[in-house]
Amino acid sequence: MPSKCSAKCGRNAVLKRPKTGDSLCKECFFEAFENEVHFTVTKAKLFKPNTTVAIGASGGKDSTVLAYVLKLLNEKYDYKLKLFLLSIDEGITGYRDDSLDTVKQNRDDYDIPLKILSYKDLYGWTMDEIVAEIGRKNNCTFCGVFRRQALDRGANLLKVDYLATGHNADDIAETVLMNILRGDVARLSRCTSIITDSGDGIPRVKPLKYCYEKEIVMYAYFRKLVYFSTECVFAPNAYRGHARILLKDLEKIDPAVIMNIIHSGETMKVSEHSKMPTLTKCTRCGYVSSQEICKACVLLEGLNKGLPRLGIGKSSKVKRILEENEKLKGASCNGEDNKCLCSGNDLKPSKFNDLKI
Amino acid sequence: MCSVGDDFDNQTEKLMQKATLTKLSDTCNKCRAEKPCIVLRGKDTYCKNCFLINTVHKFKASLGKSRLIHLNDRVLVWYQIGHPSVALLHFLRTGLDLSTPKKLRFHPIILFVYDQYQLNNKEGKELIENAKRIVSSFGFDCNFISFADYVSNPENVPNLLNSESLFAENDIEKLNLVIHKTSSRTNRNDIKSLLRKKLLIDVAKYWKCKFVFTPEISIDIASNLLSNISLGRGSHVSIDTGFCDDRDDEVRILKPLRQFDMKELALYNNFNRLESLSVRKSAVNPYSSVQDLMAKFVIELQKDFPATVTTIVKTGDKLSLDKNAEVKCKLCKGPVSVSDDLVTSQQSTNFSRFVSNELVDCNKSRQERFSTICNKFDQTNNENELLCYSCTRIYGNFML
Repeated sequence: MPSKCSAKCGRNAVLKRPKTGDSLCKECFFEAFENEVHFTVTKAKLFKPNTTVAIGASGGKDSTVLAYVLKLLNEKYDYKLKLFLLSIDEGITGYRDDSLDTVKQNRDDYDIPLKILSYKDLYGWTMDEIVAEIGRKNNCTFCGVFRRQALDRGANLLKVDYLATGHNADDIAETVLMNILRGDVARLSRCTSIITDSGDGIPRVKPLKYCYEKEIVMYAYFRKLVYFSTECVFAPNAYRGHARILLKDLEKIDPAVIMNIIHSGETMKVSEHSKMPTLTKCTRCGYVSSQEICKACVLLEGLNKGLPRLGIGKSSKVKRILEENEKLKGASCNGEDNKCLCSGNDLKPSKFNDLKI
Repeated sequence: MCSVGDDFDNQTEKLMQKATLTKLSDTCNKCRAEKPCIVLRGKDTYCKNCFLINTVHKFKASLGKSRLIHLNDRVLVWYQIGHPSVALLHFLRTGLDLSTPKKLRFHPIILFVYDQYQLNNKEGKELIENAKRIVSSFGFDCNFISFADYVSNPENVPNLLNSESLFAENDIEKLNLVIHKTSSRTNRNDIKSLLRKKLLIDVAKYWKCKFVFTPEISIDIASNLLSNISLGRGSHVSIDTGFCDDRDDEVRILKPLRQFDMKELALYNNFNRLESLSVRKSAVNPYSSVQDLMAKFVIELQKDFPATVTTIVKTGDKLSLDKNAEVKCKLCKGPVSVSDDLVTSQQSTNFSRFVSNELVDCNKSRQERFSTICNKFDQTNNENELLCYSCTRIYGNFML
């Protein structure tokens, strides 16, 4: 006999929530899920009324559900928010082409304006071109570093007040575990914050912070939301893999572990005696960075100078090469009119300011 | 979502370094003269003499650095199965026998806690005999207590110590009277370790010891730390897995071997021809509990990333207790943390549980429905302020 919905509505349950172990029918699950996001948004005071919010949209399940739920809550609970979808086109054939179609579908379905920025626009290179230079081994470094900044830069460009991303509870728990494995105390202390700032005054918020990945999938499934579920063709390699597999195994033993880990992350205190890296701003692009020049600018310099492996190796080596390049500046390639002195060709725009959008 | 880039900055190359093959030096790393006979951490070579001196020094340094133990203090030493405990006994005996200023000047008392319920009568007797023999070979007296007896009668420590019967047929039933039968293996392990800690403290108090030495080594610390994080004990990391656990006002639990790895201590025992205690263990499915899974995970990751254990231990060392927490949990005695976040994971879970069991009135508007639920939720005080987050979870399995 099918079990009854825990909310005592009399209907048969269709799912068992991993977060609480309760069985719910479709309607009660929708209401519960949406109410929980609303609870998080209001309790954590994520948004102020009459502001604009960019939703980082990849076409995947998390951002699709985020866009749908925010749109719905905005109407039902009168947040008075102006919502935007913001997508980044990395230029990966066979991955982004299809997922961008999904984002466009979301735009039409939910009637939210969409802005797509490409790596080509922002950095002068598509991921396909970068892979041709660097090979498949380290390309995820480029993609990840560029994307993180791309969203911030895009948010800046659209002059929004908030940037909302689809990070879910599993993502946060995984990050906590990974930061412990890597000994990254600075990140450990801030990775569970629901609101973070990347230095430009635009807060990055995570409204789905307490939503289980499985429940997000269930919500999308039962709401029949269109989302794109293919792994990136360059397949993010093992970097996070260990923490991810561990978390999935832990979830099988007890799903509550995910919330436990987030609780641990939230209540952990870093000792006053331990050294923390100071954050400054990149001298080239102004983006928040722990070094004088941010990772994106280093990687870009490498690509533009034909040294694509620059920034993959040690940072001391990078510093040396950058200094040498600085000395050679004017004498060789990078002429004042942004033309290469050797070939006379236009240089690819390497800075945000060079963009004409 | 793809979260590859969320973790990057300019220091990543230092983090999670892969195992690399390096050419080993032909001479001892320390004296630069003798031919080395062992390799530690996959790269450092030592001769026998330097290795032994270093190992002893490391032990003394960990005690000396803390400056906690004073002249003639009594220290309860928890003697356990395996290499680390024997090495610890040897460190103590050689330290006490010195006539130099480096002599150890406290009084160790050795305690063996019998909790090997997978053994039959004959094996149990043998184990106790062996324990006695090994401990007395160092010139110490070995004291015994039965874990199951303590658990069923914690007030009776004086009579339980060195009692005639250390194990009985109904030991497991005794445990089941305290730890609920239906508890998950994860919770059972968690409760057992809380009880074991309580046992050590109670015995230490009875014998007027100010300190307890436990024999955890680095890999135990690393997997305990990760397990504790996964059980929601993140705010207690510094006392649960740090050098000194001072949550009890009178007795401090110290972990003097927490910087050692198994290879070091096994070799130390081998060079000194020390016999360690071993027993038959029942096979454990690593996926049956959080603690077992973490132990397996750390061992496997350590193979590919040799810095794993030290990194985890060092990460733990950089964490501290919440100074604002005033209330102590009545179960684990750790501080109950008060969060200054507007919404916490605990609140969110409680709210989810609440809305999943609450019938909504469909005739009302959405906004009205939500505010009714919120009001009701605020009235039900879910949080037991006398228990920490993690102990709230196991409290139901515990029959006190």
